[in-house]
Amino acid sequence: MATSSEEVLLIVKRVRQKKQDGALYLMAERVAWAPEGKDRFSVSHLYADIRCQKISPDGKSKIQLQLVLHTGETTNFHFTNESSAVKDRDAAKDLLQQLLPKFKRKANKELEEKNRMLQEDPLLFQLYKDLVVSQVISAEEFWTNRVSMNSVDHSLTNSKQEVGISAAFLADVRPQTDGCNGLRYNLTSDIIESIFRTYPAVKQKYGENVPHNLTEKEFWTRFFQSHYFHRDRISTGSQDLFAECGKLDEQGLKSMVGQGVRNPMVDLVSFEDKSLDEGYGISSGPSTSGHNKTLKENSNAAIIKRFNHHSAMVLATGLHKQDAQNEQNGETSSTDGNSKDSDFFQPSVKKVKLKESIEYADLVQENGRKAVSLNLKKSDRYSHGPTPVQCQQYATSQDIINSVNCIRHETANYTPRLTQVLSSSTASTAIAALSPGGVLMQGGTQQAINQMVPNDAQCELKHLYVAAGELLRHFWSCFPVNTPFLEEKVVKMRSNLERFQVTKLCPFQEKMQRQYLSTNLTGHLEEMLQTAYNKFHTWQTRRMLRKT
Amino acid sequence: MASDDELSLLVIVVDVNPIWWGQQAQREPEFTLSKCMDAVMVMSNAHLVMTRSNKLAIIASHCRESHFLYPNKHWKAGDFAGDESSCGSRDGKYELLTVGNDLISEEIKNLMERTEVRGQQTETLLAGSLAKALCYIHRVTKELDAGQEMKSRILVIKAADDSALQYMNFMNVIFAAQKQSILIDACVLDADSGLLQQACDITGGLYLKVPQKIALAQYLLWVFLPDSDQRSQLVLPPPVHVDYRAACFCHRNLIEIGYVCSVCLSIFCNFSPICTTCETAFKIALPHAMKAKKKKLKPTT
Repeated sequence: MATSSEEVLLIVKRVRQKKQDGALYLMAERVAWAPEGKDRFSVSHLYADIRCQKISPDGKSKIQLQLVLHTGETTNFHFTNESSAVKDRDAAKDLLQQLLPKFKRKANKELEEKNRMLQEDPLLFQLYKDLVVSQVISAEEFWTNRVSMNSVDHSLTNSKQEVGISAAFLADVRPQTDGCNGLRYNLTSDIIESIFRTYPAVKQKYGENVPHNLTEKEFWTRFFQSHYFHRDRISTGSQDLFAECGKLDEQGLKSMVGQGVRNPMVDLVSFEDKSLDEGYGISSGPSTSGHNKTLKENSNAAIIKRFNHHSAMVLATGLHKQDAQNEQNGETSSTDGNSKDSDFFQPSVKKVKLKESIEYADLVQENGRKAVSLNLKKSDRYSHGPTPVQCQQYATSQDIINSVNCIRHETANYTPRLTQVLSSSTASTAIAALSPGGVLMQGGTQQAINQMVPNDAQCELKHLYVAAGELLRHFWSCFPVNTPFLEEKVVKMRSNLERFQVTKLCPFQEKMQRQYLSTNLTGHLEEMLQTAYNKFHTWQTRRMLRKT
Repeated sequence: MASDDELSLLVIVVDVNPIWWGQQAQREPEFTLSKCMDAVMVMSNAHLVMTRSNKLAIIASHCRESHFLYPNKHWKAGDFAGDESSCGSRDGKYELLTVGNDLISEEIKNLMERTEVRGQQTETLLAGSLAKALCYIHRVTKELDAGQEMKSRILVIKAADDSALQYMNFMNVIFAAQKQSILIDACVLDADSGLLQQACDITGGLYLKVPQKIALAQYLLWVFLPDSDQRSQLVLPPPVHVDYRAACFCHRNLIEIGYVCSVCLSIFCNFSPICTTCETAFKIALPHAMKAKKKKLKPTT
């Protein structure tokens, strides 16, 4: 049934599908077909589901259109209108051709995105396998959080940096002699792009002439032949395509010079080269006017002018975007010296600039913060260690005297008897106590747990932890439960956790018990799950109490 | 090859507290100071015999002084030829060992003879002895030839109880030893010593409380004779759990969770609005009638 809000783009009557007559409807988001006389669509496919369309070859008697879906299904439509079957079909085909790409990209993109994410992150893939493939949670739940996170990243990576233009791009086109008095120029698309970006006039010419008047090769041949390209630009009349470009360049250069540099700190006008002699200082004599210059000076000046123009154009391509952005933000920065209203602000801008250049933040004297001095009343407390005050064994002075006398007496008669230091029985008891398993060696076996459990069991445990962590994160993020959506989610997550425990945790535990020592590897996981269950239980009872 | 041997210096600090040993002689006559000294001598001989380049020092830690039993200031290695009373060894022992043993026994006799105990000086000056040991090690290190390396360790044989007054000095000694990579091993005869446990934990040595005092020599040879390189190849008693809890400043109870003044860092077991050490006033906000949040003081591991 067609929803009334759907926009119908095309209706084609007399279309048969599966040997039934009917009409084909092409709408904004799907294509549908209804049998004759009925108003319900028996066939309806979203454009997003359609992978491609096929048409029957022109020679055939049957004029058909086939839609192939992503799932592999095919649907055939047979156009049976005697007069306009081909036209109908072509109209449908064209419309589909326009519409399908729009939807195709979106659907594929999502799948592609998901596949890409799964491939790039093995942990994610493992998590996916553990949770979705084993039916603990559904795929949609799995992707809800993640897809939103990553679409943001994707858009960020799309804004790549613009590649700049090398100033020597024209010089890099090194001509090669091809034997007999000819030159070969190798042009790559990069160089062509650079030329177009730097000299928009050339781009314009290209657009005008190619491919209507000249082929591309001819265009470039003429470009390189013209004096526009050559060192000494002598305009040779109007035959040349590019003479106009030369004039445009001159105009451009003049306007740039006229604009000047608006940096208040820079005075370009005083940069004139008037030297007294070779290498000597500056003479302040009257500047020689243009008429007295020699031919050589003229051509030198022309070359320098062209160089300056070229460099200015190259720079302009880089600044173009930045200026556009700056205008959007409404800044009137004078960092590149080209802002328009700096005339009005000139004194204050100059001041700010001067201030910036003389002040260094780390050389400024720090305003010392007033510190509060430490005033310790009972500092001897620090010198007592963590030994608690115990009652020392009190020895009476009589005891002390007795002991001292005793010991003096003993050592007075002391001779070392080194052969009678140890009897064999005491020695063997001592050795027994020191051997592994003995009295003194009890604490040593704790370290070996990671050697006792084999690697694959460790891996599996790690995966369990990752999966359990993910589920628990979803569970705990539902609290405090404010909305009905969160309520549902909490209940769902509780059942997910139970399912996880039954399907994953218990088999692992049993496996451990069967094969290995009774080391309790899953105790912590169970504890976490139990905490979650307890929380759910208290929440549920509280909710019941509130309801009643 | 001989010159490539790393020197190994062992300094044994023996606790010869006369009061404790006197009482011990009355409690258990079969293990007295003489037996203890015999065991120490066996250990030191064994150490000297292990490698030619091994060095030794023995310090007796008394309640009034710390005295070097070996080597003696006045004794030089080549001197024994001139001594008639102890010329040569009577039982075929290596000459150095004979001389050493005689020296030790003589020194301990002299030390005990001139013992006088005054007043309340009943505690062993262990921190001072350890400091002397460190200085000795430092001096010997300075006297080495260029290019020679020396590894040193200190073995403490402890009899009497810890002295609470020596805490600061003890900790300073421990950290100095740690800086110099000097191991401190501890062999405890009577009561467990928290300070020595900390010393062993911090410097990387071994702590052992011997269950049977008469087998002391066996324990010394088994556990404390190998040096640190060899210990990694042997199965030795595992390290003890050290109690690093702090004591509160008001009652000196050992506590795990307490209050710390943020100005002077003194530790209290109960909250008080004014810190008694630095007299800073503290206010505690009581959110939602909950108890004030305790700043946790975790025991360092």
